[in-house]
Amino acid sequence: MSLLPFLKPNLDPTEECVVNEGRRQLLRGGLGAVALSQLLSGAPKAEGGLPGLPGLPHFAPKAKRVIYLHMVGAPPQHDLFDWKPKMQDWFDKDLPESIRSGQRLTTMTSGQARFPIAPTVFKFAKHGKSGMELSELLPWTAKMADDITLIRSMNTEAINHEPAITFIQTGFMIAGKPCIGSWASYGLGSTNQDLPAFVVLNAKHSHPKANVQAISARLWSAGFLSGQYSGVSLRSGGDPVLYISNPDGVPTQMRRRMLDALGEMNQITAEKLSDPETRTRIAQYEMAFRMQASVPELTDIKSEPESTFKLYGEAAREGGTFANSALMARRLVERGVRFVQLYMRGWDVHGLLPEVLPSQCKDVDQACYALVQDLKQRGMLDDTLVIFGGEFGRTIYSQGKLTATDYGRDHHPRCFSLWMAGGGAKGGYTHGETDEFSYNITKDPVHVRDFQATMLHLLGIDHERFTYKFQGLDQKLTGVEKAHVVKALLA
Amino acid sequence: MRSVVFFTMASGLALAQAPVDFQREVRPILSDNCFHCHGPDRTTRMANLRLDTRDGAFAVRKKGAAIVPGKPGDSLILQRITHKDPALLMPPPQSHKKISPQQRATLTRWIEQGAKWQEHWAFQQPAKPSLPSVRNTEWPRSPLDQLLLARIEAAGLAPAPEADRRTLARRLALDLTGLPPQPADVDAFVADASPDAYEKLVDRYLASPQYGEHRARFWLDAARYADTHGLHIDNYREMWPYRDWVIQAFNKNLRFDQFVLWQVAGDLLPNRTMEQQIASGFQRCNVTTNEGGVIPDEVQAMYDKDRADTTGAVFLGMTVGCASCHDHKFDPISQKDFYALTAFYRNTLQRPLDGNIYDTPPILVIPRAEDRDRWSRLPAEETAARDRLDAAKSAAAPGFAEWFRKGRHKKVKLPVDGEAFRLPAGEMSFDAKQTRELPNQPLFARGQAFSIAVRLFLPKSTENLTVLSQLERYPDDKARGIAVEVNDRRPFLRLVGDDNKAIQVRGANDRRMAVDAWHHITVTYDGTGLRDGLSLFVNGEAVPFEGASETFFDLMGEIKTPAPLRLGGDGNKRFFAGGKISDLRMYPRALRVQEARSIALWPELQQGDRAAAEHYYLANVDPGAGSAYQNIGALATERLAIRRRGAITHVMQENADSLPMSNILYRGQYDQPRDKVEPAVPGVLPPLPAGAPKNRLGLAQWLVDANNPLTARVTVNRFWQEIFGTGIVKTADDFGSQGEAPTHPELLDWLAVEFRESGWDVKGLMRMMVTSSAYRQAAIATPAKLQADPDNRLLSRGPRFRMDGEMIRDYALAASGLLTVKIGGPSVKPYQPDNVWETVAMDGSNTRFYKRDSGESLYRRSLYTFWKRSAPPANMEIFNAPTRESCTVRRERTNTPLQALVTMNDPQFVEAARALAQRALLAEKNNPAGQLNLIARTVLARPLDVREQTIAQGAYRDYLRHYDSNPADAKKLLAVGESKPDTSLPPAEFAALTMITNQLLNLDEVVTK
Repeated sequence: MSLLPFLKPNLDPTEECVVNEGRRQLLRGGLGAVALSQLLSGAPKAEGGLPGLPGLPHFAPKAKRVIYLHMVGAPPQHDLFDWKPKMQDWFDKDLPESIRSGQRLTTMTSGQARFPIAPTVFKFAKHGKSGMELSELLPWTAKMADDITLIRSMNTEAINHEPAITFIQTGFMIAGKPCIGSWASYGLGSTNQDLPAFVVLNAKHSHPKANVQAISARLWSAGFLSGQYSGVSLRSGGDPVLYISNPDGVPTQMRRRMLDALGEMNQITAEKLSDPETRTRIAQYEMAFRMQASVPELTDIKSEPESTFKLYGEAAREGGTFANSALMARRLVERGVRFVQLYMRGWDVHGLLPEVLPSQCKDVDQACYALVQDLKQRGMLDDTLVIFGGEFGRTIYSQGKLTATDYGRDHHPRCFSLWMAGGGAKGGYTHGETDEFSYNITKDPVHVRDFQATMLHLLGIDHERFTYKFQGLDQKLTGVEKAHVVKALLA
Repeated sequence: MRSVVFFTMASGLALAQAPVDFQREVRPILSDNCFHCHGPDRTTRMANLRLDTRDGAFAVRKKGAAIVPGKPGDSLILQRITHKDPALLMPPPQSHKKISPQQRATLTRWIEQGAKWQEHWAFQQPAKPSLPSVRNTEWPRSPLDQLLLARIEAAGLAPAPEADRRTLARRLALDLTGLPPQPADVDAFVADASPDAYEKLVDRYLASPQYGEHRARFWLDAARYADTHGLHIDNYREMWPYRDWVIQAFNKNLRFDQFVLWQVAGDLLPNRTMEQQIASGFQRCNVTTNEGGVIPDEVQAMYDKDRADTTGAVFLGMTVGCASCHDHKFDPISQKDFYALTAFYRNTLQRPLDGNIYDTPPILVIPRAEDRDRWSRLPAEETAARDRLDAAKSAAAPGFAEWFRKGRHKKVKLPVDGEAFRLPAGEMSFDAKQTRELPNQPLFARGQAFSIAVRLFLPKSTENLTVLSQLERYPDDKARGIAVEVNDRRPFLRLVGDDNKAIQVRGANDRRMAVDAWHHITVTYDGTGLRDGLSLFVNGEAVPFEGASETFFDLMGEIKTPAPLRLGGDGNKRFFAGGKISDLRMYPRALRVQEARSIALWPELQQGDRAAAEHYYLANVDPGAGSAYQNIGALATERLAIRRRGAITHVMQENADSLPMSNILYRGQYDQPRDKVEPAVPGVLPPLPAGAPKNRLGLAQWLVDANNPLTARVTVNRFWQEIFGTGIVKTADDFGSQGEAPTHPELLDWLAVEFRESGWDVKGLMRMMVTSSAYRQAAIATPAKLQADPDNRLLSRGPRFRMDGEMIRDYALAASGLLTVKIGGPSVKPYQPDNVWETVAMDGSNTRFYKRDSGESLYRRSLYTFWKRSAPPANMEIFNAPTRESCTVRRERTNTPLQALVTMNDPQFVEAARALAQRALLAEKNNPAGQLNLIARTVLARPLDVREQTIAQGAYRDYLRHYDSNPADAKKLLAVGESKPDTSLPPAEFAALTMITNQLLNLDEVVTK
């Protein structure tokens, strides 16, 4: 087999030889898995990976990477994060018109004759030094109250899932704009040349009656940005990255041999036609080969010590669970991936809330704690921002029949809760207040675009200056209306 | 770098005093930096200064004029863009915009030279330019070449030599059919010494049926065609007849103006044909939703905007949607213009919510070809049959009079013969939580036709009511059986299979029944398991249904259950509180309308009512009328059968009871409608042609009117992009101020006028492009060209770019011989990795589980692949295929490792490699060199050169060594894919050759046109 020093024209040819030689040793079984990860995906190299924009970050970032845990369907704030004890006296009473004040409703409840108040059936307690009020459904989250910033005054403009998720992910209610992860990888690039800059995980829930909302590729699309900034799905079933596995009967060394021959033939084309795209293609095939090695290494959690599974819970062993996905998120950011977007469905509790919600919380609670602690232990929490939240809030009144033990909640855009940890977010802090119905915000509202501006700020990016010209406009994640960095959230 | 700047540099450095081109050099600077606050949008205009119009820019103001021709020193604009004081500097620092020193120099020179102003080029009528002189007079074959060559020469370059014939044959085949050429065709072309050998090949490919498939694929991106609704549940939508119409339109070379006219307003044409109606589906390809909770006005506003955006991008090259919240910032399109444009589309019978059904009205039934004749004659026969019934009724009058006079009607025992069940006479009342159970009725089974007729009293209630049911419930809220309900005051019939999937129908919105009143309803099922095998009748009249269902599955499960027959409830949460029933009858067949009416009239008949008796006599006694009824029934059955065999497609249909109108939505918000507007075209463009109606037909006529400066330009530009890779205007969807100016404005105009004058002849345009000298150049770049023309915008060499994902897949299939050559039909589901759909889909979606097809459907061309919008075909998306959620006229072309993984590892490609290896092995037995040669000539349209042969043979030896010593690997590789490998072939050689083919199919040369 011949060495192909021309494969990466931008690289020092001697270094490329070393990489190739090392890979070959490895394929002969000469190097162990640890060496592999060091070799292929370990120490980030400045010249590797997707380049970011010149001039970015605009200032020293607090967060270098993001893990965004999106709870699709919208978790109910009254039962988890925004304790309204007075509501216990309001059971089955009508929501005062003064509170609703002409608020538009979804057509699921707009025909309801009355809007009976459904106090939460779950208990709350104060946690951590700040006395953060959290529900009994989140005992693990409660243990890390001092690590998180809880925002109780999030608000949005969309009242149904499709537009609301699209809004919080892309800054616009109609599909077609780039999502946050695409913006981040466009601006900041990646430090790993063997893995995508932006990876998407879809975690499964366990309760069979959980009401599931659709998600779609548009949520991790790069919109008008180049397609290379789209999120790449890391899947739990089949190939972890689409088409990553060689066909049956084609071992790694065979693929290597094929790529050598392919590269040589492509080189002839490159010489003949001088099309720069040909050389790029040669390099992309080499990167594909490196991904074929680094992705299995990434997803092979057998190398994790027992303590990892103690921390994340036994569910982390099973592919596709939230716990497994959280662990995968840690492994991804550890390897230099810029943005990990995790979607967890099943939170759309229009009915059966007391039955379904505990299960949903059980699916995620311990793993959220584990992820934050795991990052902390590795010294990565300081520069990794972890976000947990849905796309809007839910109503204090019950959708459909209210009984002492059963209720559901409809969509509510005016307020919802979301937490952040690490990456320059203030720990042990609760921001914003809502009225006693958690219907309207009474203090320190944080609009979706303020949240986006703040996230970019933590990444060292001024959202006003982070633009891309499309259809003649300097498009930005935060859109046309003024957005504000919420200084109070910063550590 | 924007090529605008590039051209400024290239020409500007050499000739400092060359005349500045306003359109290409000056306007973009003003547009980028100034229009935002000094442009068309009134609401954000600062200092009452406008720089997008001549009047505004040259107006004398208090302190002077922004632009004073010939006097840079007096021009305020130059003072302000260099101002020392940040408070006065333009553009303001907080806008983060900057005018570069070079741009300042350009503006200065332009003013020095007299500040010649032109209105935006795209709004001017295109006119054929005079042709420039060129040094190399041998090279141009046409004005097209001459216009290109002038620019190539001006850049100090010379065209590349003509490509060799093999390259040309491959390029032509790919551009005109989307498929690689057959090796034999290439050889024949190489050997053809006739002077018009090339033109003959062009004409052959233009005449091939694959031509239309290839052209259609580009158009389907623009039309945002797909096989699902798009949002939320994202269920199946039957739309493929529209796709097939597009293919045929290109193959028949339908004039492009007609192509546009039919798609925008085919349904409004006088004596419209089926094809014209199908074409109107263009505006039914948009994304729709049925998400629970959505607000119809909001959804409607979204559809309106999508349709206006699409019209703007595809025909006008304008980003009209920018004016949905405010006046356009850069182009003279006001917010009113935008809503006036949406008005054309709003007068439709389509409802905002799609119902999650596959046939959201308005739709059109497309019978099979062999049924078309019958289908077209059915309406006349049906009319004749009704006339015959009327005649029979008249003829029967004396007989009836006699029959009635003799009191025979008093002897009638049953309204309709063949009852299987009847409830004893008398009324039965119900209250909440009370049902009456009767023994199980064995009548209800999946394959068994039945009818239920009942008289009911509908109480005042807002709840959904269950009149009767035979349902069995098991854990997890699953059920099987049947239920007759009243849902929103409309009859509702539900058949639930034991797989928990139901077929159900609900009476249409305008057929609500009065409350506090008695009604007679009959529901029938024909035993076919199909939703259209259900019927509803109220008081003996057939009631049309609407899509009340979240599913449209055929009934697959069994509905037979041992559960009791329940009256007044479903045995669970629903009741018939306050309701009453009487006269319940069941039949083991699907009753016809006259039978349903006989039952409805039964009480009247028993009271001796003459009209009721007459109806009974005609339906049951008189042989003439009886046969007429039977005839009508037979025709109805035939109509249904043809419809079931055929397809449906979504079409546009105007609401005849209202006129198109719209409201301006304040800041684009659906809940803030302001002034009413009538349909109108943007004021900056010519008005509707004289006599054109103020509806979609008028809009369509205007789009293709000779006075419209945009449609022809935008169209030729898009076809140019298909062939040459990049449009003359690179921003093919934006010909406005912020779009990129054309690299060759004269060429664009020449093509546009030529195209229009040719009768909008698309094949002619294609022929003109591919027979040009520019097209025939070799794609060889030189250092000088890479420097002066890096992106080949001047076409100083032949076009060369990566093919779209569909072409790459089709290429492998065609080369392998696996390709199924068949045009049109329902979309197919070829190989796709597991869980691509499942991961994102809703539980209730009927496109949640991807069930792969088998056989020939695995090998169809990629434009037939089923397109689920929320999870498009994975191996296409990786190659930059759009999601088809909105109109796309220009695909991106990235070069990524994920693409390499597709062509190396996707079973579709591996199987194709194996199939081609098999062909080579069978054709060239025991001749490895011959096998390699056959594969190369198939995938590259040329033999390998010596160097390449050495590389390939070396690799082959290594592959062979491996498979010789690892027969299990050979076996595994050969087993990839559904088609079976020829087991008579030696496995090691077969596997090694498969790898070589896989290698060749991954060549840069193969994935690149």
